[in-house]
Amino acid sequence: MTGLRSSRSILTILLLAAFGWSLTSVDWREGVLNVQGTPALLEFLAAAVRPVLTPAFLGRAVAALWQTVAYAVAGMTVALLIGAVLGTLASGALAHRRVARFGEVVGARATLGLLRAIHELVWAWLFIAALGLSPITGVLALGVAYGGILGLIFAQHLADAPTAPLRALQAAGARPWQAFLYGRLPLVLPDLVSYALYRFECALRAAAVFSFVGLGGLGAELQLSLRELNYGEVWTLLFLLIALIVAVDWWSGEVRRRMTT
Amino acid sequence: MIEAVRLEEVCRRYPNGAGLHPVSLSIGVGETVAIVGPSGAGKSTLLSLIAGVFPPDTGRVFLHGRLLADLAPGRELARLVGIVHQQFDLVPQLSVHSNVLAGRLGEWGLARSLLSLVVPQDAALAKRALERVGLLDRWNERTSRLSGGEQQRVALARLLVQNPRIILADEPVASLDPARAEDLLALLTGIAAGEGKTLIASLHSVALARRFFNRIVALRAGLVQFDRPAAEVADDDLAEIYALEDHVR
Ligand SMILES: Nc1ncnc2c1ncn2[C@@H]1O[C@H](COP(=O)(O)OP(=O)(O)O)[C@@H](O)[C@H]1O
Ligand SMILES: [Mg+2]
Repeated sequence: MTGLRSSRSILTILLLAAFGWSLTSVDWREGVLNVQGTPALLEFLAAAVRPVLTPAFLGRAVAALWQTVAYAVAGMTVALLIGAVLGTLASGALAHRRVARFGEVVGARATLGLLRAIHELVWAWLFIAALGLSPITGVLALGVAYGGILGLIFAQHLADAPTAPLRALQAAGARPWQAFLYGRLPLVLPDLVSYALYRFECALRAAAVFSFVGLGGLGAELQLSLRELNYGEVWTLLFLLIALIVAVDWWSGEVRRRMTT
Repeated sequence: MIEAVRLEEVCRRYPNGAGLHPVSLSIGVGETVAIVGPSGAGKSTLLSLIAGVFPPDTGRVFLHGRLLADLAPGRELARLVGIVHQQFDLVPQLSVHSNVLAGRLGEWGLARSLLSLVVPQDAALAKRALERVGLLDRWNERTSRLSGGEQQRVALARLLVQNPRIILADEPVASLDPARAEDLLALLTGIAAGEGKTLIASLHSVALARRFFNRIVALRAGLVQFDRPAAEVADDDLAEIYALEDHVR
């Protein structure tokens, strides 16, 4: 115990030292901030009060937003399927025999590890290489990467479900999958839903960024308006994105409230 | 006498030296037995061994003449013996009726179990059980919204639906106020008497044990201190049982 603690403080000191050394390696005279950029920054901020609201641009912006939402929803659907199946297997809650359980758990955990070791943008590149540039590519990339994360969290929650109600079900004659349906799953479902909703917000932001690998959506419009230095349009898009995130946040809060009361 | 439960030299030892060492006991069909004794005497351990929650280290447990170790877990065991705990052990997120119908899982297959979460199966059975414990009006409610006493009665309704021949109850009234405790014990003993079931319950209150049960088994430090009809238990016997605990207090 004391050995662990002392090795931890040694690690802390090493990290602090590395941080201090990294500060000395920055050339402070050159200026860390781009001074020529300041007027541009002011111009950008000033544009916040006059977003572009022409019907033509608004139409384009809403279509882009819609595409991003569609990517996120479809991607999360795939992720939930992958997460539910692999997460359940990885939790080891369903297998009767010890050997089968070991195989399932190890196999499912390894797969989940692989899925989430790779970032969704890298998955997008891989799928573009394999399938070409299409909406399916974005949906699969998001679904596979997020399925790995959801599966891991689902498995952990399922494995940590309170044991007393489960033992009571077993004593009442329930087999493992019945105890899963009537105990393990409902016991942790509010936590699973809560986490999936949080991940849905992340998926919206990830889908907005997908434009950078050539898949359309909000990010593509942002890129275009930024390149043309049309800050009014940029703000329109940002406001739409903020409104979307706020709306999703409100909705997920509502769902959580309903599940816990 | 037809034997419902028979323990032969049953031992179970925990690392701290506590447990049961050893206990032999024979309980007839239809008897109502109160297990009394101070905390740590081994009451929960004894009931768990009879429920088949874990096996004894040594010794044998028979239920209705059959060796417990030979019974298949699941339906076969669930038909013979069922248990309610002090903490009720319900699933708070499920509706009251789903918790009650969980007592039928031993009899159902996958399709029926799944369907019942949407359209309650064997609903008449569950309704009768809930009516019996006075909670029929809470049929569709989320279980977490019920009070402790109500949840204890839901657990009892689940046991009624399971319908085992031997009913075990581990400190069923420990978390209830005195009036509700008496109601629940009256309900439990009424069910046992009405359907000829065997009832074994651990209790902290000897007064309640004497009032509601026909036999009292006193445990102390993992051994049977005495075992006699409730009517023959004298105040002196009880002083002896709880002497240890009084020292601790
Ligand atoms: N799972 C366990 N592991 C270790 N010790 C235990 C366990 N369960 C019970 N004990 C010990 O066994 C003793 C008897 O426990 P228990 O049967 O719960 O007594 P009672 O129900 O009469 O209070 C207690 O002192 C407790 O410390
Ligand atoms: Mg106990």
